Amino acid sequence: MHHTQEDLQAPLHETAHRPSVLHIFKIYYPDLFGGTLTVIRDICASLKDAFASAVLVCSQSAGPRELVVNDVPVERVRSFGNLFSLPTAPTYPWRLWRRIAKHDLLALHAPFPLADLVFALGFGGSRPLVVHWHADIVTHAGLRWFVQPLMRRTLRRAKAIIVSDHVLVETTPLLREFDHKCHVVPFGIDSSGYDWPKLEPHHVNDRGRLVLACGRLVPYKGFDVLIRAAASRAFEVWIIGEGNERPRLEQLIRELGLTDRVRLLGSVSDSERVKLMCLCDVFVIPSVTNAETFGLVQLEAMAAGRPVVNTALDTAVPRVARHGMEAITVPPGDPEMLGYAIDTLIRDPERRRRMGVAARTRALTRYSAAAFREGMETVYRNAVAAPSPAPASDTERPRPTEWMESVRIAAALAWSDMRHRYVRSLLGPFWMSLQMAIVVAVLGSVIGQMSNTGMLSRLPMLALSMTAWTFLNGVVLDATTALQNSASLIRDRALPPVVFLLQCTFRQGLFALHNACVPLVLWLVLSPHDVSYALAALPGLLLFVACTFALSLVLGALATRYHDLKPIIESTLMLAFLASPVIWSSDMINQRAIVLRLNPLTHLFAVWREPLAGGHVDPASLVYVLVTLALLILASVLTLVQLRKAAFWI
Amino acid sequence: MVSIRLHNVCLDYPLYGAYDFSLKRRLLGRLIREPGQMRTIRAIDNITIEAEPGARIGLAGPNGSGKSTLLRLIAGVYPPSGGRVAVHGNIVPLLGLNAGVNLDFVAQDNIALLLRIGGRKPTRSVIDEIWAFTELETRMQRLPLRMFSSGMLMRVLFATATAFPADILLLDEWLSVVDEHFAEKAEMRLQNLVSQAAIVIIASHDRPLLRRTCSTIINLDRGRIASTVAVEPPATHALELREKRA
Repeated sequence: MHHTQEDLQAPLHETAHRPSVLHIFKIYYPDLFGGTLTVIRDICASLKDAFASAVLVCSQSAGPRELVVNDVPVERVRSFGNLFSLPTAPTYPWRLWRRIAKHDLLALHAPFPLADLVFALGFGGSRPLVVHWHADIVTHAGLRWFVQPLMRRTLRRAKAIIVSDHVLVETTPLLREFDHKCHVVPFGIDSSGYDWPKLEPHHVNDRGRLVLACGRLVPYKGFDVLIRAAASRAFEVWIIGEGNERPRLEQLIRELGLTDRVRLLGSVSDSERVKLMCLCDVFVIPSVTNAETFGLVQLEAMAAGRPVVNTALDTAVPRVARHGMEAITVPPGDPEMLGYAIDTLIRDPERRRRMGVAARTRALTRYSAAAFREGMETVYRNAVAAPSPAPASDTERPRPTEWMESVRIAAALAWSDMRHRYVRSLLGPFWMSLQMAIVVAVLGSVIGQMSNTGMLSRLPMLALSMTAWTFLNGVVLDATTALQNSASLIRDRALPPVVFLLQCTFRQGLFALHNACVPLVLWLVLSPHDVSYALAALPGLLLFVACTFALSLVLGALATRYHDLKPIIESTLMLAFLASPVIWSSDMINQRAIVLRLNPLTHLFAVWREPLAGGHVDPASLVYVLVTLALLILASVLTLVQLRKAAFWI
Repeated sequence: MVSIRLHNVCLDYPLYGAYDFSLKRRLLGRLIREPGQMRTIRAIDNITIEAEPGARIGLAGPNGSGKSTLLRLIAGVYPPSGGRVAVHGNIVPLLGLNAGVNLDFVAQDNIALLLRIGGRKPTRSVIDEIWAFTELETRMQRLPLRMFSSGMLMRVLFATATAFPADILLLDEWLSVVDEHFAEKAEMRLQNLVSQAAIVIIASHDRPLLRRTCSTIINLDRGRIASTVAVEPPATHALELREKRA
């Protein structure tokens, strides 16, 4: 790995005066060809005098990790295939984090949740970030609840958001929140490559029936619609591009009997593509979902002077080539209308010529490569020049004090709960401790009957276990109703909901301290008290409390949102009490019992009971507890994000 | 710098309970592809409000026009579903007086707890000052609030809620319960509080109150701003005073 990093440094050194930009995306040449990649490549190429570009992506191929594509160094992180259209590259966040400090500007090409993860967790705050918004998540919309909070955090931190058309800001709720940061920079096209001398349509061919489409063979491109449209018509369709839809499309072509008129050309070289664009009569972009935000290929076709047939998506697609001027726009997914529009153009050479000229004019004037470069350069320069903490601090700075305030209020509420617990009580303070003493005495005698070992020596541990269990049980049960019970404070005094979940832990903690006098007395009386054992048990107890709090946070929020969870949680706690070594200890029964070993509570109790009894914690238990805690913390973080909406639930 | 900026803010209120959100419905719904139901109502629709220090904004409108929801949105209770909300300054939302009250606790404990919730330290002198304002007997401080009549309860809660000044004060309709004598005193205190706060937003059906207190009145209708009326302070104020004396 060492030598590769030096390789990356080399181009940076020779041009130290240029700020360096790291482009962050999921995939890059030569693994794939497509619109977004063209944009990244064009940005790198057109800004090469002002910025030194580098690219960090994932790759499934076993090829070299470092390579140079069009003079741009590309680092490819190993990915193990795609999950929900996203590369599974576990080391990507780490690599990204390592690379951030080496660059002056980060350009994230969204959507790419893997990178959002890094920014959302607050890493890379030292470098300005620009987000290129290419598309919303359309295909796996079910993941949105998980990904959207991450994306929001990334956007909050971004200096600027670049979109290709203003309509994207209007139709994307997430972008509307940040519309003051959005900059519209339409993609540009270098039209010089399309300056063929024989641009006049009648020179190209006189059959008048070649229809071209171009794009990766993926479902949202809608090529199946185009193929169906060709079925009842007479024109010829050529489709450029490769992708995993290919077998299905081929089958469709065979089924419709169109093998002589519809051809899948596969990948072709850039120059070949330009030639085909100049050759065809009508260019079609039949995309069916909003994943198609701009349609760079239609811009290329426009530069080649072709009339376009596109679809009425809520994106820039029908605005780049406008209905009646450069294009005919049809409803997405409607083969009949699509075929009719294509036929209209094919039957009318004059209209085709007129639209082609209009398209070329629009491509040259409105979407020139020079304007694109200028727009990008301005945004990048401003982002690099802007003072770093300005916009971020607005929302981030009050965080620690807000947290402290929440903890303070939760503590005050818990303290008040504790004080008022003895209001109108018969026995006065410590009646709960008395109850605990009775429980321990009864349970102790019963269990003493069942096992033949001396019960007296077990009593302190039994009392302490019962106290700990009462704490866990109480915290989780209280949490399931805490938000409901404090609805008025949340809605009318705008206290953060997390306060009341914290309150449960604090309150039960205070109660547990009261109850703890029972095991304390028993311990002092019945055991050879060794203080060092007690100290050794403290870290384990902390783990226990942390797990309890995280669990109550997650379950408390869930039970507020879904009302049927409360009885489920209650009965599960009862079951857990019986199935865990709380009142019995694991040495009383078969230690290899699989349920016992899988039960996280076994290990959660073991991490502090073993050292207290003078033994050693089983490393497996420790690992088990730490993994549980890590999962719970992750779930808690997600819960805290969702708790913003708690006021809607109560 | 105290300020409130709402820019094209929308709030879609999810209708939990009105529709079946269960796992069964979700799985089946996906299988049989039933069309998605309308699951939210737009409680706040594209509202833009800018308030600088000195702003006194009244929210008027029929029930369900979004007054309280808007106040809660500014207070940060509801996250906006669209648009931008930027609030700087210490907000004191007084949207319901009953929030956080426990009738089993004695009055002074309640006052102490409410002050803590508001982030203030409840010292003896502060509690005594609050109690003096309520004009109730000192020994009643040690009675549980359960024993208080609703008017007395309101006095205690009002006195506690308004004991400290705020940068941004959000008030919702809550001056209706107490007797005449206390109402006058309460309104004076409220005016005093309003004069100390940098920004005040009051939602009320009581138009004379709004006209007395506010510099701008925003009329809401079904979550939208129907109209914004600037109040001419001197003329209206004098008129109201005359009306009051008469």
